[in-house]
Amino acid sequence: MSEANTSETAAVAIRNLSKSFDDVEVLRDVELEVKTGEVVTIIGSSGSGKSTLLRCINWLEQPDRGSIHIAGQRIGVNDAGRPMPVRELAKVRAKTGMVFQGFNLWPHLNVLHNVTEAPIHVQGKSKHEAEELATALLEKVGMSHKHDSYPNTLSGGQKQRVAIARALAMQPTVMLFDEPTSALDPELVGEVLAVIKDLSAEGYTMVMVTHEMAFARAVSDQVVFLEKGLIIERADPETFFTAPRTDRVRRFLENHDTPSPA
Amino acid sequence: MSNWEILWDERAQFWSGFLSTLEIFGLSIVGAFLIGCGLLYLLEGSRKRLTMPLRIFIDVMRMLPFLILAYLLYYGLPSVGIRLDAWWSGVGALAVYHGAYFAEIFRGNRLTFPPGQIEAAKAHGFTKSKMFFRLILPQVIMQTRPLLGNQLIYALKDTAFLVIITVSELTAAANSLSSTYFIPTEAFIVVIGFYWAISVTMEIIIKQCGRFSAKRGFDNV
Amino acid sequence: MNASAWQMLLEGAWTTVWISAVSIAIGVVAGLVIALIRLARIPIVDQLLVLYISVARATPLVTLALFIFLSAPDLGLDLNRSVAGILALTLNTTAFNAEIWRSAFRNFSREQSEAAMATGMTPWVTFRRIMLPQMVITSLPGLVNEMSFLIKGSPAIAVIGIVDLTRVTNRISAVTYEPLPPILVAGALYMAIIGCLVWLQRLAERRANRLAT
Repeated sequence: MSEANTSETAAVAIRNLSKSFDDVEVLRDVELEVKTGEVVTIIGSSGSGKSTLLRCINWLEQPDRGSIHIAGQRIGVNDAGRPMPVRELAKVRAKTGMVFQGFNLWPHLNVLHNVTEAPIHVQGKSKHEAEELATALLEKVGMSHKHDSYPNTLSGGQKQRVAIARALAMQPTVMLFDEPTSALDPELVGEVLAVIKDLSAEGYTMVMVTHEMAFARAVSDQVVFLEKGLIIERADPETFFTAPRTDRVRRFLENHDTPSPA
Repeated sequence: MSNWEILWDERAQFWSGFLSTLEIFGLSIVGAFLIGCGLLYLLEGSRKRLTMPLRIFIDVMRMLPFLILAYLLYYGLPSVGIRLDAWWSGVGALAVYHGAYFAEIFRGNRLTFPPGQIEAAKAHGFTKSKMFFRLILPQVIMQTRPLLGNQLIYALKDTAFLVIITVSELTAAANSLSSTYFIPTEAFIVVIGFYWAISVTMEIIIKQCGRFSAKRGFDNV
Repeated sequence: MNASAWQMLLEGAWTTVWISAVSIAIGVVAGLVIALIRLARIPIVDQLLVLYISVARATPLVTLALFIFLSAPDLGLDLNRSVAGILALTLNTTAFNAEIWRSAFRNFSREQSEAAMATGMTPWVTFRRIMLPQMVITSLPGLVNEMSFLIKGSPAIAVIGIVDLTRVTNRISAVTYEPLPPILVAGALYMAIIGCLVWLQRLAERRANRLAT
């Protein structure tokens, strides 16, 4: 009961999260809380477990131990401690929106239908309602002129912006970004970051895994450093990037040569 | 006497049908292979005047049922004075039909050759024949191995069509036994077993050839 | 070749077309069902299906048609020729289709399913709205290719007495004593039918290419 009370204010509450792949411990007793309207960025070197952590939030990866609550509701496991039935899991997942590194648009649907698909077939919205919502979102990400194009005609940056609109269409409690610009050509990165920045300014709750240090510094409310499955530092961006407490983080930032934000 | 015992007593008929099928199959795929290679050779760097009719021939064979070709040879040729017996009509039809399919498989693979290979050969003074036999053909055969294997299985199955033009082979044996003793189910089960065994054996042989070609570095191309 | 010969040829062509069409229709769906059942990996059922697919792909159509038609009375079934013919063609094509569908399943991009699940789609909705439409499109060239094979194999049903486009040429030449013309025309008709399928296959390939992002 008390668990539910403390999680009520948090959009995402992660407690004691552990996961191993074969014999390798990828996440070790991770604790993280994301308040409503907060932007949390997870940083770390490859193999640190950051993608796994993000993918546990919407149960695309199943942790071995620990709990995750989305807006107070536990995901993946029901109150009796048993694995959630598929329908319930889908309902909780609908409260999250995920943007993938590889965009993962559905190639047989055009841009508009990619965005309306989930609202219609998961939330039961009418075609008219969904299309209105989708049009507004595509406008927001700057892709309304391509609404009847198919994914294979779009550039990477355009695809990712559509993917963001698709995730927003479910009006989620929290947006999850899994290295959203890592697969993009450098000149296309900016257009996607601009959209994400607007979302953060509008007060969306976001958890982001990214390598874009300057961007993380500009947009985050909290930065978390993951090393071999453990959170070894968490701080506000200014502190994190200018005066980190741990040596490991200091070395990491040196190697990444983070410029100060514009 | 149980049905299976009757069949066992008549095993000579099964065996002779089996051998007949193998004979027809073996002879026709050798012929088909030669025809396929021959067509590939003729298509190699030849003028449109030659390649066009050849490609039309290949495309026609790929759009016709095998039995129509067998009918053409067995029932149709006598009209123009050529009288082939059923067995030779069958073998001939199989060789020509699957020869065209082999040629198409070879041709498809040949198209994937980097042109530099051929240029290098020409620069070294290779004649068309030498180039074909030493360079092109060995690679094509090794690379099209799985497709050739599939085609062989199709050829095996097509031998059964010959029962319709009165050739005595494995399916005919089952048919004859089943009508003599009224035991169709068992007779055909045995025969289906034979076909399946040949198929599986061929698949194993093809896989072994695969290991051979991989050792020799053909799969690096 | 006179008018009645032409009429017989067209009747034979119709027999070939309708029997093939029914077998194709059942075979495509049955192949999908089998591929789906195989996905579930049910212990004994899966092995039996693998055996069926292996034997059905190795058995000549002529042999299968004779087997079904002649064995049916033994098993208590009273099949007329057309049903036996359809059954033989269907059993054969289903096995090939099952492999085509299975390959489409295995090659389906896991990332797209993840994106679907992430938006809250249940596995059933994901399958229905995201996987199946694409699998149909990517399987189409292979399925249409198999349809061509079925038509090319359909003369096998002549062995159980069905007067299809091939066997009808025997009937005609029995009257006219000129075997060559009807065989040539039958050949041309087959080419026309298969030509349509080849054209369909090219269309299908073009649509399938659109899915390759």
